[in-house]
Amino acid sequence: MSWIDIGHIEDVPLRGARLVKTAVGCVAVFRTDETEVFAASNTCPHKQGPLSEGIVHGHKVTCPLHNWVFDLNTGEAQGADEGRIATYPVRLEDGRILLDGDSVAKRSAA
Amino acid sequence: MQKLVVIGAGMATGRMLEHLRDTDPGAYEITLFNAEPRGNYNRIMLSPVLSGEKSFAEIVTHDEGWYADNAITCRFGEKVLSVDTERKVVTGEQGEVAYDKLVFGTGSSAFIIPVPGHDLPGVVAFRDLEDTTAMTEAAGKPGARAVVIGGGLLGLEAAAALRLRGMEVTVLHIASHLMERQLDPAAGYLLKKDLEKRGIEVLLEASTKEIVGNGRAEQVNLADGTELPCDIVVMAVGIRPAVTLAQEAGVACGRAIKVDAQMRTETPDVFAVGECVEFEGNLFGLVAPLYDQAKVLAKTLLGEDTSFAMRELSTKLKVTGCDLFSAGDFAEGEGREDIVFRDPARGIYKRLVIEDERLIGAVMYGDTADGNWFFGLIKDGTDISEMRETLIFGPAYQGGSSVDPLSAVAALPPDAEICGCNGVCKGDIVAAIEGGATDLGAVRAITKASNSCGTCTGLVEQVLSVTLGDDFVLPTAQPVCGCTDLTHEDVRRLIKAQELKSQEAVWQELGWKTRNGCHVCRPAVNFYLLADWPLDYRDDPQSRFVNERNHANIQKDGTYSVMPRMWGGMTTPEELIAIARAAEKYGATVKVTGGQRIDLLGIRKEDLPAIWHDLNEAGMVSGHAYTKGLRTVKTCVGSDWCRFGTQDSTGLGIKLEKKLWGSWTPHKVKLGVSGCPRNCAEATCKDVGIICVDSGYQIGVGGAAGMDVKEVERLVDVKTEAEAIEWTTAFVQLYREHAKYLDRPYKWVAKVGLDWVKEVLSDAAERTALVERFDVSQSVYQKDPWAERAEPEAARRFQPLADLTAQAAE
Amino acid sequence: MDTVVDAPTKTFIQVTEIWVPEADRLVLAEGNYGGLAAFEEATRAISFGKGEGLPGKAWAEERPVVLKGFDGSYFKRIEAAAEAGLTSAVAIPVFDDATLKAVLVVLCGDDETRTGAIEVWHEEDGLMMLDDGYYGAARHFEWVSQHTHFPRGQGLPGGVWSANTPMLFRDLGSGYRFIRADSAGKAGLTTGLGLPIPVPQDKTFVLTLLSARGTPIARRFEMWDARPVKVGKETAAILADGICERDGPLWTDDTQQEPRRVTAHQGNIGKVLATGLPLVASGKPSLTEGYDSMVALPIYDDGAISHIIAWYC
Repeated sequence: MSWIDIGHIEDVPLRGARLVKTAVGCVAVFRTDETEVFAASNTCPHKQGPLSEGIVHGHKVTCPLHNWVFDLNTGEAQGADEGRIATYPVRLEDGRILLDGDSVAKRSAA
Repeated sequence: MQKLVVIGAGMATGRMLEHLRDTDPGAYEITLFNAEPRGNYNRIMLSPVLSGEKSFAEIVTHDEGWYADNAITCRFGEKVLSVDTERKVVTGEQGEVAYDKLVFGTGSSAFIIPVPGHDLPGVVAFRDLEDTTAMTEAAGKPGARAVVIGGGLLGLEAAAALRLRGMEVTVLHIASHLMERQLDPAAGYLLKKDLEKRGIEVLLEASTKEIVGNGRAEQVNLADGTELPCDIVVMAVGIRPAVTLAQEAGVACGRAIKVDAQMRTETPDVFAVGECVEFEGNLFGLVAPLYDQAKVLAKTLLGEDTSFAMRELSTKLKVTGCDLFSAGDFAEGEGREDIVFRDPARGIYKRLVIEDERLIGAVMYGDTADGNWFFGLIKDGTDISEMRETLIFGPAYQGGSSVDPLSAVAALPPDAEICGCNGVCKGDIVAAIEGGATDLGAVRAITKASNSCGTCTGLVEQVLSVTLGDDFVLPTAQPVCGCTDLTHEDVRRLIKAQELKSQEAVWQELGWKTRNGCHVCRPAVNFYLLADWPLDYRDDPQSRFVNERNHANIQKDGTYSVMPRMWGGMTTPEELIAIARAAEKYGATVKVTGGQRIDLLGIRKEDLPAIWHDLNEAGMVSGHAYTKGLRTVKTCVGSDWCRFGTQDSTGLGIKLEKKLWGSWTPHKVKLGVSGCPRNCAEATCKDVGIICVDSGYQIGVGGAAGMDVKEVERLVDVKTEAEAIEWTTAFVQLYREHAKYLDRPYKWVAKVGLDWVKEVLSDAAERTALVERFDVSQSVYQKDPWAERAEPEAARRFQPLADLTAQAAE
Repeated sequence: MDTVVDAPTKTFIQVTEIWVPEADRLVLAEGNYGGLAAFEEATRAISFGKGEGLPGKAWAEERPVVLKGFDGSYFKRIEAAAEAGLTSAVAIPVFDDATLKAVLVVLCGDDETRTGAIEVWHEEDGLMMLDDGYYGAARHFEWVSQHTHFPRGQGLPGGVWSANTPMLFRDLGSGYRFIRADSAGKAGLTTGLGLPIPVPQDKTFVLTLLSARGTPIARRFEMWDARPVKVGKETAAILADGICERDGPLWTDDTQQEPRRVTAHQGNIGKVLATGLPLVASGKPSLTEGYDSMVALPIYDDGAISHIIAWYC
């Protein structure tokens, strides 16, 4: 893994999210608690709603377009909806948010 | 009518007949045979009858009246001799009866160990009332002794009951611990200790050699030489399905009568249910699956499609004061893991068996409070990996506890006012209930409580519940969401009553079941808090839907629309030039809206602060086209230009919009002001619509022109413009303080009644107070959100946190 | 709800009172005096210190107390009781561990026609022995009881002792359901309610109420189970057993139908759950299952209410 510093925890509102542009598309960084972050795809598999704009509750986010709910631990859609968003390794170090660069790098075309 | 013959009046056939009669009383002409000279009774309750804690009359489930009412021909005390499945005839001791459909419900009989002396008088099983009576009689002799062979459910219940009757009781059990099929050795040990405390002697690994006596059972001799004198021997080692009759009739049997998932035997038109059936190799002894079978068979007989399925079972022992619970599989095995909790001082033992992150078995003794919760986890196959650490402590550790809304009501003194509209206090309502008013309607009729606006209905119901107990069934109110059992009304009331001023306080004090709510409750609670405590509570953008957080409407492609405010629909060339420039600069699509505004569509999120800045520069502010708040005030040109205009409708519209803009409301609020009854501003389908007339202003409220179309209802006629503004403001504030989140004004008015709204607002002092409270709120919230967010620091938040695309390309 | 029209000839218990500790004295919280206004008036004027009078004795000695014949006794309201025709009383302390919550006092009149029994049993040398009891006219039964003892697990007192929960026995006088059945049958005793009376010291007391048809102690008995074993984490109780002259059996087999359940504050039983105190209600039949009065008594175990016993007449 290659950890990339993407910003300070305070740059992400509590129970909110910010966007990170990557080679695999937009990744949303969610702050679920004072010192708890998750990273997942920003794009809802249903109608491509921007998940970083959803309401963050517990370890979950609700898509702002049609209220699909995703578990940020697994990326799985909750309830009756079926679908999954990609999740990415992310961690906190001295208040800095570190995202795994390998996981969001462009896949080789092999 | 088709003829149905049922052989055996047990618990399964009793339940089956009930389902049949409840669903289609006319489907069959029914004949019911029973070898016992009586009808259906609750056989599993025989042990409390034996102990004297119940009487037999209490456990009869179907009495003569029931059979008569349901036109069931009863042939009780009559044995069925044979069944001819070719001729479709059942032959009883009193003669034949033909059938179209036949049900075997012959149940099971006790398994009697064939030791010498097993057929002596005084050796009884524990299956029916006759056995129970025989035991009761034996207990009548002072100092009588009983030997119970079998330390399973039935044997132990018999032993405890006979002890209560005053007998000296010895239990013989062949295995090394009691109830070995339901309990593990540790729980079996605790059960043995408990029974010994009751004066019952328990001998384990006891093998019965013979029963001896002169003409009747007088002594049991064990293989190890122990001699146990006795007056009665109770054989409770097990049951075997009673299938002789079925076998003789040629119905296919394995260990019992073979049935499929529809309870059909292999013989046409012959069915079986209960302890006499074998389904996929399984036999049945506990009552729960028998009831399932009964339901399935009733449906099958009525031609409905349904299937019986095996389910997990739990065990309870009916010995007063003995608390044990077991469910699932708790044998040790590879890959299985145990969690054990012991409290020797209190005699508590709990063991959970886990396999593949799922609970597969639970045994508990002494503290079985969480038994059903564990049972649920076993049945549902719930993944328990996340709660593994605290699992043994039960559900109390897994989530918040719920609050009891009744405690607040119970604590109210008799003079506490419940219904503000009609001045009814708690004491009045209690007195009415004591006088015989036992439901909401009666209380309303007598006291007038909740007869006006109705917002105290829930409270009155809670007073009924506190006073009457479970004789009054509280209506199941719709909770806000899965995070709480409370309704919107409860939450609003408790926020005020308990002075809860933060979301954390609401979650904690009102017992939210989730850590911090969900997308349904968070916006509602956020609104209630800011509406009730404008000076104490700070709006939480993270509890708002995206549009209200970003102050623009998200579109289906993820871009936003931006709409500047145009007071009363008036604009200027300068504003139009600025709008045109912005549209060009940010590539917007331009649309004129129904609310007399100009909408710029297709703005990217990153550009929002910049376009807001540009529009601010031209003197324009947010049009709040995205909020649950004041949207627009639509006006006509009024007396300034129109030859029909009676008043300055445009001027009033502008004044109203300047007064109300920026306020948050339960749902969006749209106003219209028309200069004359021709109503060019379409004011009569707005949330508040004002029609100007020669004599002043007609204020209507509660219109709608969305999914529902509804004309406003007249709130009041006023003479002056100042009064029109005061009434409108007071109405909006009343709506803010009382309505459920996401109820438009017309829905709210329909719930509370226009009369109540009129009554409140016609009080000048109340109006003034409402306007004052509105003004306090506006001192906090009437700020242009665009200007705040166009500041560089705030604007940064609209940009991505980082851009890793360049890095990744390296 | 219908009120009962066929009023009983006479009730066995004539007065029920609840005394609660306030500072260092016991004061009257609630009482049902039937028509005995003068006795009620005399009662409302007094309070008891620890060791004073009957309630104070139950408090000080930490045990249920039976008192028969007031003349010359420590009973404080002798004159008023005599005028009201009351001759005997039983005081039942309600302890939550070491804390006295209340003392329930029942008073009965002496009458050759009133039959019933209120008994206090205690454990001695591994047997339940009769402490004392009030029997009204059931003299022979009284004699039998004095000469009967119960080993653990046997009969109503022995059963309550070993199970440590209240128990309700049916048809005391029919068949051999009850060790003293023969005599009970002759005395007309039908229903028996036994309950453990926990006290701070390591002693075991069992109270039994034996009811006869003509002069019932109660026409309806209810036994509510409030233990987490039965109700979960919520403060609630389920109706575990009961019998009523009008409604018949009050229990439900849990495989057939859910039992009645109340939570804290819901009705009279809910009030006992919430306050932890015994309750006496009268004159409001619509709130007391159609009967004229009710008494509800909490039983504590391990720092919480485990059961509530209610009787109505």
